[in-house]
Amino acid sequence: MDFDFSAEQYAFRDSIRGFLADRPAATTAPPAAEDAAALRSGLADLGVFSAIVPEEHDGLGLGFVDLALIVEEFGRWLVPPSIIETLTATDVIVAYGSAAQKNRLLGGIAAGRLSLSTAIAEADAGYASESMACILTPGGSTWRLNGAKILVVDAMAADYLLVAVKCGDAPVLLIIERGRAGIRLREHTTFDLGSIYHEATFEDVEIHATDFLGGSENPEALGQLLDAGAVSAATFMTGIAGRVLDTTVDYVKQRNQFGKPIGSFQAIKHKCADMAVAVDSSRSAAYYAAWTLSGEASERSKAVSTAKSFCGDSARFVCNEGTQLHGGMGFTWALGLHLYLRRVKMLEYAYGDANHHRRRVLAEALRALGVGQAVAVASR
Amino acid sequence: MDFSYSADELVFRDAIRAWLASNLPPGWGRTQFEPENEDDRAHFRLDWERKLFNGGWNGINWPKKYGGRGATLVEQAIFAEEMALARAPEGLNIIGRNLTGTTLLHHGTEAQRERFLPPILSGDEVWCQGFSEPNAGSDLASVRCLALRDGDHFVVNGQKVWTSFAQYAQWCILLARTDTSLPKHKGISFLLVNMNTPGISIRPLKQISGESEFNETFFDNVRVPVENLVGELNGGWRIAMTTLAYERGPEDTLGRQIRFKQELDRLLVTLAALRRGNGTAIDDPVVRDKLARAVVEVDIMRLNCLRSFSQALRGKPLGAEASMMKLNWSHMAQNMYETALEALGPEAPLVRGDPLSPAGGRFQLSYLHSRAFTIYSGTSEIQRNIIAERVLGLPK
Repeated sequence: MDFDFSAEQYAFRDSIRGFLADRPAATTAPPAAEDAAALRSGLADLGVFSAIVPEEHDGLGLGFVDLALIVEEFGRWLVPPSIIETLTATDVIVAYGSAAQKNRLLGGIAAGRLSLSTAIAEADAGYASESMACILTPGGSTWRLNGAKILVVDAMAADYLLVAVKCGDAPVLLIIERGRAGIRLREHTTFDLGSIYHEATFEDVEIHATDFLGGSENPEALGQLLDAGAVSAATFMTGIAGRVLDTTVDYVKQRNQFGKPIGSFQAIKHKCADMAVAVDSSRSAAYYAAWTLSGEASERSKAVSTAKSFCGDSARFVCNEGTQLHGGMGFTWALGLHLYLRRVKMLEYAYGDANHHRRRVLAEALRALGVGQAVAVASR
Repeated sequence: MDFSYSADELVFRDAIRAWLASNLPPGWGRTQFEPENEDDRAHFRLDWERKLFNGGWNGINWPKKYGGRGATLVEQAIFAEEMALARAPEGLNIIGRNLTGTTLLHHGTEAQRERFLPPILSGDEVWCQGFSEPNAGSDLASVRCLALRDGDHFVVNGQKVWTSFAQYAQWCILLARTDTSLPKHKGISFLLVNMNTPGISIRPLKQISGESEFNETFFDNVRVPVENLVGELNGGWRIAMTTLAYERGPEDTLGRQIRFKQELDRLLVTLAALRRGNGTAIDDPVVRDKLARAVVEVDIMRLNCLRSFSQALRGKPLGAEASMMKLNWSHMAQNMYETALEALGPEAPLVRGDPLSPAGGRFQLSYLHSRAFTIYSGTSEIQRNIIAERVLGLPK
């Protein structure tokens, strides 16, 4: 029993922190192509992309929990979401990919050459996989994919897309090249000024059996992707919340009004204390969820949904209070504080929002007690 | 990071599990419950604590020579979880075990430890806590209860308040002013007072719940031998801070978490059976969302404790972070009981004694108890000051 990271895990985090501190800070514009490439290759050199790739594919063979502190650090520096998407996708490919898919992808991922994005959300489906309108229509030995996905992270720059679709009644996961015929991309306008997101439309895209993740229809792969994405988002938001807390504490120490630092006033202190408690509890939730992703933990569903709902609500609270405590300056673009809040707004609603995940938490709790079963299933 | 248990830890778990199975009354937690009468309940809890002691399961983290079994922090966590699974009752001597014991282990002399620690675990001596006074609440360092030296005794005069369990206690940990000429934090001493000494009187205070767990305690020329001074003369404030850190720390919090988890499980089961038209109370989506929040927060309370344990195992001393833990759980638990009443809806105002009160009125009683959580052991406002100044470094 040990709920802490090892010296090696902290050292890994520190190496990433040192690297990111020397990089250009996030701004209101997406990074230029050469900056994005430099970031990606630098992170690859430090072992970020090879971390969870098995050793037989030139990776380090670590688990998702080894990335928890790294993803949190990414949150502190507002690293572009395409990096996290690649890591989330990697986790699922390692767990469920066919031998051919692993051979084709994992080496390139470990080397930082391949970028992957996930295509899950649909405008009309809410968060229920059963309601997805992206559907495979069988025709001979192949299928046709029709439908549209929203908020696909930087799809234009991705080499592969992991697409959640329905095959009959079963939600399954496809992995296809972004350039396949019939895929059209439209750039969204979003809260997040520093990153690019696309709507992806699939029109009679030809799908082969080898495009199913794992080589066949496996609904568990989509479940793993949703959980890995939720944990990544929760951990990233925890990093953002920690950074906003630190920035706010620094600000209220040096901002003077009424002849003294505003941080000496209890009205300010008490907000900071509540923010600190929210950040600390977020870490407990996010780290534990990351651990359940790596192993066989029976607690996975509950732990993941606990983290996604709690860390999202906490990051929202900390960003709101941080903005408040910066006063008028917090509302401007001058300090860049709004960039944190904007990214949180993307992540709160990705991979299931807090309400969605609380429904799952309660269903799991009732299932463990053996009560309220019918309701739990019906409301999922 | 690893949440699995070692072979030794599994042996430990099986041992406490087996002991509980054969020592709790048959049907415990299902058909057998604690007595409802307050006095009967106190004696029931003391008897249970003595039973634990006889089985070697009381104060397990204390060194063997004082009656404990030198259990590790992980074993403490396992113990707390097994007690929860078995819905085992609480003990009565919580102050003796958690506060007096911890304080003497840190700051007591060997003679004091040998004299006072073993009877705490055996249940022969119950302790109460004489810290707060009518004019020394959040500003605890302004205590006025006076202890003046007279030969080989201190003579204590003054009043304490919120002295929980004073009516069952043989001993009291007392914060008293031993030098009025020094700055307020520097003239306080930490004394061990026999509650049978002439000059002590107690008066029960009726609590919001109608119970009288705590009291006003009056000291009128009470003579305390000098060997019952803990630590240095006028050095009591620093010692009291150790006591309070443990009162707010992960061992205490994990024990509470277990109780909250039990109550929450009980609430979910109750609501799933509580009729509302053609369905049950748990069908309401608004209620479900609030219940889910409670499930999330109670689980996070446990995770916070385990993280804190792991940091302690790596040698990080327990400090002001304990205030974060206490601030967090106290509000979380209040939210949970508010949710319980909302979920009970029209039956919520029916308390213990009314045959229509769901689950025997336990949630209403716990709701009333929960109002104290953000007040005792340092109010939330004081905890926020401590966090802001000592964890975040904001200026005074």
